[in-house]
Amino acid sequence: MDVTADASRGLDLSRLVEFGKSVYSLVILLVLWEVVGQLGLIHYYFLPPLSDILIRFAELTLSGEMLFNAYLTLQRALIGLAIASVLGVIVGVLSARNDIVDWFFDPIIKIGYPVPIISLIPVFMLWFGIGDISKIIMVAVGTFWPVAVNARESTRQVETNLIWSAQMMGTSDRRLLWRVVMPAALPGILTGFQIAMPLSLIITFVFEMVAGGGGLGALEIQGVRSFESAQVYAAIIAIMLIGIGLDRILRFVRGRLLHWT
Amino acid sequence: MDGRVTISGLEKVYGQGAERTKAIEDLNFEVDGGEFVSVVGPSGCGKSTLLYLIAGFLDATEGTISVDGDPINGPGTDRGVVFQDYALFPWRTVYENVTYGLEEDGVPKDERQNIAQKYIDMVDLDGFEDKYPKELSGGMKQRVGIARTLAYEPKILLMDEPFGALDQPLRESLQDQLLDIWSDLGKTALFITHDVEEAVYLSERVLIMTRHPGTKKTVAEIDLDRSGSREEIVTSDDFAHFKNDVWKSLHEETQTEVTL
Amino acid sequence: MLPTPVQGVVNTIVDWIPLGIVVLVWELVSGGIVATDVLPAPATVGAEIVGLFVSGEVFSHLFISLFRVGVGLGLSILVGVLLGVGMARSDPVENFFDIFLSMTYPIPKTALVPLAILWLGVGTKTAILIVFLACLLPIVLNANNAAENVDQNLVWAAQMMGTDERSILYKIVFPATIPEIMTGVRQAVPIAFIALVSAELIASNAGMGYLILTSGQIGNYPTMFANIVIISAVAFVAVRAFEEARGRLLVWT
Ligand SMILES: Nc1ncnc2c1ncn2[C@@H]1O[C@H](COP(=O)(O)OP(=O)(O)O)[C@@H](O)[C@H]1O
Ligand SMILES: [Mg+2]
Repeated sequence: MDVTADASRGLDLSRLVEFGKSVYSLVILLVLWEVVGQLGLIHYYFLPPLSDILIRFAELTLSGEMLFNAYLTLQRALIGLAIASVLGVIVGVLSARNDIVDWFFDPIIKIGYPVPIISLIPVFMLWFGIGDISKIIMVAVGTFWPVAVNARESTRQVETNLIWSAQMMGTSDRRLLWRVVMPAALPGILTGFQIAMPLSLIITFVFEMVAGGGGLGALEIQGVRSFESAQVYAAIIAIMLIGIGLDRILRFVRGRLLHWT
Repeated sequence: MDGRVTISGLEKVYGQGAERTKAIEDLNFEVDGGEFVSVVGPSGCGKSTLLYLIAGFLDATEGTISVDGDPINGPGTDRGVVFQDYALFPWRTVYENVTYGLEEDGVPKDERQNIAQKYIDMVDLDGFEDKYPKELSGGMKQRVGIARTLAYEPKILLMDEPFGALDQPLRESLQDQLLDIWSDLGKTALFITHDVEEAVYLSERVLIMTRHPGTKKTVAEIDLDRSGSREEIVTSDDFAHFKNDVWKSLHEETQTEVTL
Repeated sequence: MLPTPVQGVVNTIVDWIPLGIVVLVWELVSGGIVATDVLPAPATVGAEIVGLFVSGEVFSHLFISLFRVGVGLGLSILVGVLLGVGMARSDPVENFFDIFLSMTYPIPKTALVPLAILWLGVGTKTAILIVFLACLLPIVLNANNAAENVDQNLVWAAQMMGTDERSILYKIVFPATIPEIMTGVRQAVPIAFIALVSAELIASNAGMGYLILTSGQIGNYPTMFANIVIISAVAFVAVRAFEEARGRLLVWT
């Protein structure tokens, strides 16, 4: 009994040391940030003390302003991403499975994928205005490409042997897509979503910064314009949390769906 | 017995233009229902191509392949393939891999369960039903591959170097399991290998193919007394004699390849 | 059957027909269903592109953009490789930086543009910083991954032949990681252009992004479209040129 207790305590201690080693640099930085801010070594406008930023973050959160803007941003990014995911997977999988579809989409993907999609923001402002719809369409158009390209590649790379296996066991060509092709391509399709997700946020933030209409991007840029630097930092903290949160969710979903890999 | 495969005037050409390769040329051969035939030949001579043509995955350029007199038309559940790289569905458990063919056939759930369990037991995998392929060793994966193919009860088993990636003791034990299953179930078996000993040990006849483009070189009748243990068979003079014959014939082909 | 070269040309033409259809539909729609204001015809945009180059108007902005993207990407390669390899070869370096990387990894880097404005103001420095930050992670991750997985047999082989501990780094580790570093850079190039245009839309008085935004704002739509085509072409060529260079450099892979 004693031995095991000792061993587990020893383990805990070494884990604690490992943990300390991995975060000490962040702790030093945060402390330094606070001290430098408090002593006024760097002008408040550039770097408010960490505590001020956290207070501002709390204020914005409690007043509901932060949550509302986060909601606006997330709604735009995620609806756009959802549309792109559906269309991208359909186009990607079909063009991997069908020569005519591929003939049509291949040159369009070749030309469309490399376009720095952000440069189309002014076009979307012209076409669809600066409202939610415009932002959602922009996100959908921008994130379509990585989803489609990854879906296409992973569908193409489905092993012939798997398809043959299913055929010999009696799977008809029509059912092949659902029974074999989609499950086999799923890892690559999910990779496409994982690439598209941050892109959806990038597009939303930049659009909000350029065109306003609320959202975390607008909150940030408004902070810059009104010399409220604590608000800029607070918005970035929120963005970081959202980024980490979405990333975790996607990883979790991936782990769940791909527990067999 | 059912399960006779007749191959006549078979030719397979891959690609066109500069990339045109003739893999198989004018092959005529027949495997009787219930017979165990191995195919050996130099690497690249078209053994896999032949097997996949019989499976119906590939279309012949010339000639026909018939099963019990009916020309084949694409893959069908009368034939089952065991692949060298197993080709299990990685997203399905052992049990789900074995029941796949039964699901496609519309077999009711409890019946599926019975059949699957029978074949899972037959290849000694009881207790592993809920594992995913990634959790299995190579030998276990191939046993799933065999069980999966047996489960939907094809008349003809087509095997493309199924034990090629496994080590010697494992190969031997799987060979014996395969022979047991074959004599119990009475299926036609076409078995590709590059291992002469394996071919002689398993089969009633060995088809030796010429080097590229492949066709029939000779057929060796392996008239062995198989009543004894593995050790008795393998150490017998007859076995050595048949092995020698096949080896010599095969060696002539690989020789010509090297000197060219 | 057609002779091979002719067949090749025919194939290429057939391959690009869909794009021709798209351009044709665009040409027909413009001025028909959709006003030319909102969607200038391809011919108009084409003429505008030529005009921009002939008048030389585009060059100053294009050079500014290229400078920003080049410096930002260059810095990120330099820092990214050092950091990635350093973290793989030394635990203290890894312990120090790992937490920052995992905390900044999920932040879309363009969200940092306003912060960059606070620190560096509007202009080139901000654009370079954003390009640098956006490109850094893919390069660090790839370099780090490669350096951690350098085949131990290579290291042992070198040691056996008398390479000392310090030379191992630049004789074995760096060369062995180059292919994956290239992969990281390949991922970073398109990101660099997205970061560049983002920064220029929000925080610049020059550059292609700025030009696109302002020509849109003053209603000069052909110029807006023309500049989008130009920056897209530049991004496309950059990726292709990099892939070409990588192919030549990595003949041994
Ligand atoms: N999909 C294919 N496309 C073109 N050539 C092929 C293809 N598959 C096989 N071949 C060629 O056909 C010949 C026979 O191949 P294969 O049947 O795999 O031989 P084996 O299984 O006896 O080693 C080889 O020369 C091989 O290069
Ligand atoms: Mg083969």
